[in-house]
Amino acid sequence: MSFLHPLLLAAGLGIGLPILAHLLSRYQVQRTDWAAMRFLNRSVRVRSRHLRLRDILLMCLRCLAVVLLALAFAKPFMKDAQSIPAGFGERRAGVVIALDASFSMGHRDGKSSRFEQALEKVRTITEGIHPGDPVSLVLLAAEHRVVVRNMAFDAARFGELLQNLQPASEPLNLASVPQLLKSLADGMEAPQKEIHIVTDLQARDWKDRPAWLNDAFNDLTRTAVTIIVPVRGGTDNLAITGLDPVSGVLRKDTIARYRATVRNCGPNPVSNVRVKGMADNVTVDTKTIPAIAPGTSETVSLFVHFHNSGPVRISAELDPDPLLADNVRRTVAYIRDEVAVLNVEGSSGGSGKFIATALQARGGGAGQENFAVQSVPWTDLPTRDLSEFDVVILDNVPDITPEQARAFEAYVRAGHGLVWFAGDNVDAAAWNQRSGLSSIPLLPAVIEQVASTSDALGVGRPLDPSMPDHPVCRPLLSLPEDLLSETRFRKVLQVKPTAIGSTVLSLAGTAAPVLLEHSLGRGQVFMFTTSADGAWNNMAVTPVFPMVLQQMVTYLTAREFEKPRLVGDSLSLSYADQPDASEAVFDTPDGETITVPVRQRRNEYVALIEHAREDGFYLARVSLQAPGMPVAVNVDTAESDVACLSPAETASTFADSGITVAQTDDDLVAAVSQARAGLSFWMLFLFAGLGLLVIESLLANYMRASRGGEHEA
Amino acid sequence: MDHLPDTHYLDPEILQKIGDLELIAREVVEGLRVGSHRSPLRGFSTEFAHHRQYVPGDSIRSIDWRVFGRTERYYTKLYEAETNYDCHLLVDASASMNYASGKVSKLEYAKFLAASLAYIVLKQRDSVGLSVFDSEVRAYLPPRSTMGIILQIDRLLRGTKSESRSTIAGQLHDIALMMKRRSFVVVISDFLVDVEDVLAGLDHLRFDGHNVVVLHTLDRYEIEFPFKGIWQFDGLEQEEPLITQPERIREDYLARFREHQEALRAGCIANLTDYVLVDTSRPLDAVLNEFFFERQATLNGASPSARS
Repeated sequence: MSFLHPLLLAAGLGIGLPILAHLLSRYQVQRTDWAAMRFLNRSVRVRSRHLRLRDILLMCLRCLAVVLLALAFAKPFMKDAQSIPAGFGERRAGVVIALDASFSMGHRDGKSSRFEQALEKVRTITEGIHPGDPVSLVLLAAEHRVVVRNMAFDAARFGELLQNLQPASEPLNLASVPQLLKSLADGMEAPQKEIHIVTDLQARDWKDRPAWLNDAFNDLTRTAVTIIVPVRGGTDNLAITGLDPVSGVLRKDTIARYRATVRNCGPNPVSNVRVKGMADNVTVDTKTIPAIAPGTSETVSLFVHFHNSGPVRISAELDPDPLLADNVRRTVAYIRDEVAVLNVEGSSGGSGKFIATALQARGGGAGQENFAVQSVPWTDLPTRDLSEFDVVILDNVPDITPEQARAFEAYVRAGHGLVWFAGDNVDAAAWNQRSGLSSIPLLPAVIEQVASTSDALGVGRPLDPSMPDHPVCRPLLSLPEDLLSETRFRKVLQVKPTAIGSTVLSLAGTAAPVLLEHSLGRGQVFMFTTSADGAWNNMAVTPVFPMVLQQMVTYLTAREFEKPRLVGDSLSLSYADQPDASEAVFDTPDGETITVPVRQRRNEYVALIEHAREDGFYLARVSLQAPGMPVAVNVDTAESDVACLSPAETASTFADSGITVAQTDDDLVAAVSQARAGLSFWMLFLFAGLGLLVIESLLANYMRASRGGEHEA
Repeated sequence: MDHLPDTHYLDPEILQKIGDLELIAREVVEGLRVGSHRSPLRGFSTEFAHHRQYVPGDSIRSIDWRVFGRTERYYTKLYEAETNYDCHLLVDASASMNYASGKVSKLEYAKFLAASLAYIVLKQRDSVGLSVFDSEVRAYLPPRSTMGIILQIDRLLRGTKSESRSTIAGQLHDIALMMKRRSFVVVISDFLVDVEDVLAGLDHLRFDGHNVVVLHTLDRYEIEFPFKGIWQFDGLEQEEPLITQPERIREDYLARFREHQEALRAGCIANLTDYVLVDTSRPLDAVLNEFFFERQATLNGASPSARS
């Protein structure tokens, strides 16, 4: 027998109290002289021996009652009491129910979803729980949510709780599950504990778990009887895994091309998949993918025409399938009336003109310029107000003053873009010095020396066709390889990227960076290690240059909030200056309004929601009255592969782990019955102790009032 | 007790500490209505009451000649007879009277009671006598009208060695024989003997023409029997000790006690004897005040009755 609160056994020392009381009051006969003896009934006499026996009996009863009560308070139980009839104790247990609420549980196969099946399983588990037993219920997702902790079980109340539960829009964070469940089980005061994990056993989470995670789950069995309760369903599912702008200028009266990627996560091929492009809830384009093989992705281009300036909610949608949550992908585009670019020319050569021309290049019949480009010689730079421009291009600028370096840093940090081109006039040492004035350098790389990349015939090297999935690269990825390879680089600056600098474009063969990027505050800096001048390459006369340059400016002028987030990411509103309102407002996709205080962080003011709980368009506002800026929040489609472990895989996965897998309802009932083998005796002892006290009291009264212990004279 | 004057009652235990019986008697009696008792006999004494017409057989000496001179009719003077009779106090000093649940025994209380009554009587220029008895008559003081009798009461009671007694009638018979004149007899006792025996003794006193008052003096514990737990009762009259649980026998005890008390009271009423139950836990002056108040009411017309 074990005790939940062994320290309370010390209450058994209270046995001394009745003994002390007995010793103090034992057989105390008081004496008195008495005159009216004639009125006393001599038939009622007391003998001292009987008194002693009575007192000892009562003392024993009291001592036994104290011992039983002390035992009851210490909560005695037996873990394995199958052989003891249930009437001698109660089969009580503390139960932790972990319910997988990741969005894969919303997969509906036939009439009911996996989550609804899971709720039925939970109801089956709770059928065996005694009222008053501690119960904890936790919803497992990316951020686990404890619904109730150590609730004294009440079937009606628990049923109401279950009715209000819904799967989340998050994937399952399995790594943190064992620790959470262990803490919940440890926090329970129960003679025996059970952990039920009701899940769809999604293969991506449960298959090939790392060894440490297996150990963590196995460790759970030391704390509690652990039972996996799987729910299963079909595995067909289509998901839109991406919606990215590919080309186009985000300016009023232009058309942008977006790329929607659709993945067939199921085991069967799918044909005629219709993808609908929507802008501000209006269908603007519809494409059909003829067929998608199992486990593969296909992309379609959706064209969106921007008729008005301002933020536009863009989404791609699939027709309904078994799992709805990943059928929509969202993004936001901020459409401007005009994008202003300052082109600072460091030489009087043609590179500056190439840049301006590339920015203005448009398709046939276009009536307006893409960007408002203003070209100035570098010497006029001090006369220009940087805040009037969205992007500044420094082309072959020999040097800048420290003040200008600081001004550029502040300019970029405020959310603007800076593009730097190399050239013959560039003073590498001066730039390295100016760039390194702050803790984070202005440029993404340290300039070393000019290197020739020409071969023996004087032919330069082409771009490496294996490019990262960077917005600037996307238009190039759609170029035919021979067209891409027409661009040849004869000379580049050798650079050493900084810690946060990353290579966007590089040369084939040598991996020498051509274009580098890094973030600085809320803005970005691009650094070309080559020039637009024809002496360094032929880039300016190939389609690559206008595509890259325009895409780059578009990318640089994108707002922070235009970047889509995933459920669970933080949402923030940043202010360069202290705002008038002390609170920002976020409207959730469900229409709920969340007020968030604006806090100062370093040099800026930020209103932050730690975790976006829903997928959809949030609306961020600096105040209740201010116009909102939409933020797209998408589900993490890593969860879209809804394939589950088969029963055989499940059995082998948890073999020798000590974890019981209840494949069927019968298995579950049997597992619960077997798990509750222990008996709790505290109620038995409590009632026995209280009963003894009552008996002692009645007996004491009876002995006083009845003839027990006396004899007739 | 609304009829009682606002008196500072005298706690028996405080009186016991005083010790001086005369002082105690004076303390107790001062403030009470002295001489309020009136002789039931209306005779020819010094205190004029009123006239009535002469009838043959009246003494010629009682004719008021002045009235005759004015009215030429014979009228005789009627006088209110004052208390010129004796008061005899009979104090039971048997062993049972030594019981005390507190600090004052019944005998002590009886002593205060007797002294106070004696003081009252002496204050009225009447004579008071004292008899002390237990199994027999231990002392007899013939009635006197000097204050010294109070000290003699104290001395007598102090010197008396209590003995157990099983009857009381014989002692009362003996005392009745000693008394020469009709007297006001006050019997102070716990009467813990057979009622018939008591009534037989009282009958003798009444038969001799004495005006008898019974002060049934009992301790509060004897009246209420409030014992709890296990008690050994050692009889004061040489009875066998008894270990018992008083809570169990309380109802039975009270029934027997009330039966005895009621029988005594009823017998007293039948004998035209005043019965007063005296609780020794009550202040002495309150008991006396109540006694005199009731007695005056009786003399004013009500029939003798028992009071408890």
